[in-house]
Amino acid sequence: MAKGRFSYYPLAIAAVFILLEAVSLVMLKRSSTLQDIWLNRLSHNVMGKLWGGGESIRNHFSLQKQNDALREENFRLSERLRTYELGEEAARERSAGIKPDDRKFNYIPATVVKASRNTIHNYIILNKGRADGVKPHSGIISDCGVVGIVSAVDEHYSYGLTMMNTKISVSARVGASGLVAPLVWDGRNADKAYLTDIPLQYQVAEKDTVFTSGFSSIFPAGLPIGVTGLSNMVNGSTNRTEVHLFQSFSALHYVTIVDNPERDEIEALEAADEEKEGRK
Amino acid sequence: MKKPGFLVLYLLLIIAQVLLNNFSFFERYVLVTFLPVMIMCIPVDKGTIFCMAVAFLTGFAVDFLGDGMLGLTSLSLVPVALARNGVISLVFGSELFARGENISLRKQGVGKMILGTLLMTAIFLAVYITADGAGTMPFLYNLAKGGVSLFVSTALSFFIAHFLTSDEKWK
Repeated sequence: MAKGRFSYYPLAIAAVFILLEAVSLVMLKRSSTLQDIWLNRLSHNVMGKLWGGGESIRNHFSLQKQNDALREENFRLSERLRTYELGEEAARERSAGIKPDDRKFNYIPATVVKASRNTIHNYIILNKGRADGVKPHSGIISDCGVVGIVSAVDEHYSYGLTMMNTKISVSARVGASGLVAPLVWDGRNADKAYLTDIPLQYQVAEKDTVFTSGFSSIFPAGLPIGVTGLSNMVNGSTNRTEVHLFQSFSALHYVTIVDNPERDEIEALEAADEEKEGRK
Repeated sequence: MKKPGFLVLYLLLIIAQVLLNNFSFFERYVLVTFLPVMIMCIPVDKGTIFCMAVAFLTGFAVDFLGDGMLGLTSLSLVPVALARNGVISLVFGSELFARGENISLRKQGVGKMILGTLLMTAIFLAVYITADGAGTMPFLYNLAKGGVSLFVSTALSFFIAHFLTSDEKWK
């Protein structure tokens, strides 16, 4: 009995306190117009804050749905933008007497199911697979740049290697039309990769934007990757420039898979050439 | 004989507070009250719920008999009763509850009594002046009124506490 009283006594105190204060407030409200107005204003403020708080909580729990809807909308808008850009580029090339490059990439929106970040061979698993049109060796990009390359594809999921993987090399260009060099990760800093094999005669300026070169059949040209940092000489034969990546791999959730439908043709051509060289 | 004495004195003090409210000409600038110290001096063996009920009835009586707004004094006095045990533990020590001793000016000393009275009165005045002003008075005005009222009320309450807690007078 004593134990029960001990447990409920503070609650009883609180209940009696609230009751007595409520009765006092009602009496005060009825006895004075000024206090009535003041209390009404106070209660409206409190109710407003409570409703506002409730709305914020509700919004918080529907963020996932809103994010998905925004991603879909973002993807649709990006598609339209790419169409216009391609059209503009083609018109420019036509006016310059150049045959327009009609290579078109297919874009598939995907969500990251799982991603590793703590090893030197980091991977990513996406919720889109063969059934959605994903093929091996497709690129993975986000609105912040290059994420990685699809390595294996299952029916509904795909497995890719991220830029934070020492096995990945992406062909990159410094500035809009500058030096082209392979971009690799050294396995140390998550936000940094390196442009390697730069001939000694080239000096890469700091804080220049690095884009995909478009020389590989995986990524379209002109995707921003990061900005250049310090350069240093490696083995006395080439230079190496650090690149601060735009993509933060710790906050990666929505990505886009880029598939080049003409890649097989390009790779077959490369393979035939290698075979011919081998015979010689 | 102590309890009837305390009760009679308590009722007389309520009447005194009513008279003070009705015939005070400075209420706009200074609020003189000794109701919080009356709540503080209720015997310590009485629980918080009992004290809150007494505070509510006291406030109601003062407002009803006086010309104040009904509910204002109750609204301000019930939080004082809620904080009573905490203030007593903080100022006079929690052993007071263990021993079942009442607050006594002679035993606890002037300093502790003034501090206890000051805290209880401050709680009362904070609620009373805020609700009385109803957001129409500037903060600095409320602060100045609160400061002056706290000083005057604590001084008066100290003497009231002396009478309420003195055992010898009611034997």
